[in-house]
Amino acid sequence: MKQRRLIIRSVILIVMLAAIGYTFYNHFSTERGLVDQGDIAPNFVLEDMEGNRLELADLQGEGVYVNFWATYCTYCRDKMAYLQEYYEEYEQEGVKIVSINVNETTLQVERHQQRQGLSYPLFIDRNMLVSNAYGVSSLPATFLIDENGQVIERQIGAKSEEQVLESLNELIPGS
Amino acid sequence: MEKVKCECGHLNPYGTYLCESCGKPLKEEKGKVANMRYEGVARRSQTYKQTPIDKIWNFFSSVKVGIWIIVLLLLTSSLGTLFPQEMYIPPGENPTLYYEQEYGLAGKLYYQLGFHNLYSSWWYMLLIASLGVSLVIASLDRVVPLYRALKTQRVTRHEGFLKRQRIFGEATGITDPDSEMAKAEEILKEKRYNVRRENGNILAEKGRFARWGPYVNHVGLIIFLIGGMLRFFPGMYLDAHVWVREGEQEVISGTNGEYFLRNNEFLIELYDEEDEKYREALQRTGSPVVKTYQTSATLLKRSNEGTVGSETELEEVKDYDIRVNDPLTFEGFSLYQVDYKLNELSQFTFTLENESDENLSDEIQFQVDLNDPQKLYEFDNGYRIEIMEYFPNFVLDDNREPSTLNRIPDNPRIIFEVFPPDVNHEEESGEISLIGIQVNEALNGENDHTIRMLDVEMVDVTGLTIRKDHTLPIISIGGIIFMIGLIQGSYWHHRRIWIQNREGTLLLAGHANKNWQALKNDFQLISDNTHIPSPKDQTEKEDEGVSQNNDPTKQ
Repeated sequence: MKQRRLIIRSVILIVMLAAIGYTFYNHFSTERGLVDQGDIAPNFVLEDMEGNRLELADLQGEGVYVNFWATYCTYCRDKMAYLQEYYEEYEQEGVKIVSINVNETTLQVERHQQRQGLSYPLFIDRNMLVSNAYGVSSLPATFLIDENGQVIERQIGAKSEEQVLESLNELIPGS
Repeated sequence: MEKVKCECGHLNPYGTYLCESCGKPLKEEKGKVANMRYEGVARRSQTYKQTPIDKIWNFFSSVKVGIWIIVLLLLTSSLGTLFPQEMYIPPGENPTLYYEQEYGLAGKLYYQLGFHNLYSSWWYMLLIASLGVSLVIASLDRVVPLYRALKTQRVTRHEGFLKRQRIFGEATGITDPDSEMAKAEEILKEKRYNVRRENGNILAEKGRFARWGPYVNHVGLIIFLIGGMLRFFPGMYLDAHVWVREGEQEVISGTNGEYFLRNNEFLIELYDEEDEKYREALQRTGSPVVKTYQTSATLLKRSNEGTVGSETELEEVKDYDIRVNDPLTFEGFSLYQVDYKLNELSQFTFTLENESDENLSDEIQFQVDLNDPQKLYEFDNGYRIEIMEYFPNFVLDDNREPSTLNRIPDNPRIIFEVFPPDVNHEEESGEISLIGIQVNEALNGENDHTIRMLDVEMVDVTGLTIRKDHTLPIISIGGIIFMIGLIQGSYWHHRRIWIQNREGTLLLAGHANKNWQALKNDFQLISDNTHIPSPKDQTEKEDEGVSQNNDPTKQ
């Protein structure tokens, strides 16, 4: 009788505690991105400024650094300058940089490319289809995708040159 | 010692005041009248040995604790209404400064103590959670023993129990007590009492189900709180806002980037100021009043075929005219018309002027689509105009360089380079000027040519609320059960009448959980029709202090 009461009380308390705990967890934990660590990166197709087609699935076997950016985002500018410096070096190691603009006008992107002296291809995400599929809401947003197409990290916000390099090193296939 | 054995043979849990079966007082109490709260049963919390689980349980079982939680919730909830919550301060304001600027020191404190976001703060949510826990435990602790006591009660009660009822009377010298009791029984049955007989004793009972009212009410509240809690569970609840410009499409948040809404046209109708009927009222408000507004929208779905990106098709799902209280609904989502912005820039028309050539402005006219400007404009007469830079929402950034705030053309600036026919655009530079609304600056010396704005095209923007709520049915059910419990406990009351024959002496006792007057009326009816005298209310003419200590009407 005494034993039973203790069990009943414990069960009721645990159930309530679990429900409240889960609610708090949902409310206060930083939200998991739509696409996040461990997920298979959704495939997408985009065209660069010259009209060259790129499909993510074709990059299997390479590490992919997917970076969402805008001309008005200062941190994106810094990050893209670092990428400019290292992209050729890492391309030889099997790391591809996919730089996706979030639906700005072609004119702006082209002028930005000239002004910043960016020589890697820039893709414009018309209608934000890819950004929305990846749940991008603040910039810069970066997804590190390994050679098997799995997201190994989702990064939001400014990154230093060292951090960008570190991410690029992580992406080298077989590392 | 876990159980208390009554002389009638019934085993009562520790902490029982009145034997569950015969009603004999098991503990000495002050005053003439027994405390009938919860039938004198032991509340579950009153155990003699406490494990940590029991201690937590007993804390939440206490009504005192429950009342304190309610008081704290009332106080803090009202504090949250002193100043606007963070989500209601004007958009773009920085809350760290806003509260102090608007409300001074009080505002600063308000912000620092976290009251600006009170209703989703951890401690407020913890208070609500404690209220839920308290409701569950306190109700369980009371309803289970009360149910058992009322179920196991016997018709024949201990004399001590009857004597200590608030309404009690003894009748001696009645010639034929049995027939009088039979008559009384008939009267009670007529009054729709549920009458039980045992060894010549009567227990008449009515409206017992009213006793469950408070607990039904609590169940409703708990369901209500569960509904509120579910809003925090993924996919259950969404309340978001979206602005869509005419001719453009935006993603509908919460749909994983699958659904889009295109604004085909936004219409607004104002009340006619010339109309006799409205003139007076409109003059009083001083500004135009919206009669109706509407978004002609198309719902689009990303095609499942092919890969997301530049090759994806958006399929039209349906067209709908969204009006206030007439939302577009699909798959549990509702899009409500809530706001609008009129006259946002979408296209400029320019011309080129030259003092020495008056015909030039007729020959050169061009449009710049602010959402997708061309790079180059070439004209038959050899003129060539290039757009060097375009800033949809012009701002000077931290490095004092021209930049844009976002992609919305709220404050567009364009840098043009004009090449007259005699200038080689590959080798020489043209006349450069910065053009915007009320802005026209030459950037490289004196210009011979001036770019003039001829026309501006504008679009309207519609503001929609995206709403999804799967918790509403649960919350409604909780509310309905709450009301049922409230009615059950308020409009019915539990009455019991005991009549016992002790060797020719009739003992009469009565108990009600409220509305004692009705119980007294029932006794009066018996005495009017039989020789049984009406019993007395023992709390009348009694020392006030004593009667208050043992007020049996308290539940």
